[in-house]
Amino acid sequence: MARDTEVARLKRGDLDALSELITRYQNRVYRFLLRIVREPAEAEDLFQQTWLRLAERIRHFDESRNFEAWLFTLARNLAIDHLRRIRPASLDEPVPGDSRGETAADRLASRERPAIEGILERERATRLGEALEALPVSYREVVTLRFEEEMKLEEIAQVVGAPLSTVKTRLRRSLEQLRIRLERKHPGMDWQ
Amino acid sequence: MAMSEHDEIRELLALGASGALEREEEERVARHIRACALCSEELEEWRLIATGLRRLPTPQPPRGLVERARARAEVRLAEEADRRWNRGVLAFVIVFAWVITLLSWPLFRLVTGGFLSLVEPGLNKAWIAFAAFTTLAWVGGGGAAILLSLHQRRERRLA
Repeated sequence: MARDTEVARLKRGDLDALSELITRYQNRVYRFLLRIVREPAEAEDLFQQTWLRLAERIRHFDESRNFEAWLFTLARNLAIDHLRRIRPASLDEPVPGDSRGETAADRLASRERPAIEGILERERATRLGEALEALPVSYREVVTLRFEEEMKLEEIAQVVGAPLSTVKTRLRRSLEQLRIRLERKHPGMDWQ
Repeated sequence: MAMSEHDEIRELLALGASGALEREEEERVARHIRACALCSEELEEWRLIATGLRRLPTPQPPRGLVERARARAEVRLAEEADRRWNRGVLAFVIVFAWVITLLSWPLFRLVTGGFLSLVEPGLNKAWIAFAAFTTLAWVGGGGAAILLSLHQRRERRLA
């Protein structure tokens, strides 16, 4: 597999391999980090740290393991450590400081008009994105890994360091919460 | 109270739309929705949400960020390689120092006193000489390591 070759080359210190891997994963790693920390400036900093961490640890990477899962584990651990250090309350969403338990997405959505039939796909995506953003981080990461990164549950379990059963439960609950939020904020919205 | 088949299936629908069910569970859901319009409709709703999530726009990293990350990671990779090389050199120096130490003493005795002197007890003298050789070798090795590290640091600064 080409990716394995790049990893093997990187382990030998090949800078071109590093460049190829960054090119290949830049959008996915950035998106994943942004989904977790939600602040672009923080995601950018963590993005750089992720590649630095990779450069430090690639020699210890066992090539029989899944490289993608390993890379996302590095990114995820950095993001969670960052949240724990900078915004510990964000690990227990909803949005901190909001006495009514109203989330950022709730506030954004509340400024909008009720959904109507035939709404633009972009708007639907925005609303879905807002609802996703309002989920607790442990749910958000599972959703983004499953639907955006298209990882298998076993890989997700590896990235988040939780048993498979926990990942399944989180995935189910996150979708349920997502749906409840969408239905509450946009009743009757056509998702087709 | 035991859950009915319908309720059990409903619990599985969200995961079903996520493609996260075991084959057996999938078959069970498929069998049930053929006969249950409510679950079939609900599964469709979950699928729409799942599809929406898969189609969320991908935010792009800002221009310049990737290049900065690449440049920093390359520097770090080079530093790691330097560090490994330094560790290797240090390990070599240590082994070399010990080899010199262990070989020097019998050689010295062989040259100065002949073969029999090797088995002669003379522990006090032997230990003093051994300690002297050890000190010499370690000071030499340590000095070499310091010089090497200074040289590398200077090179890195120039780069």
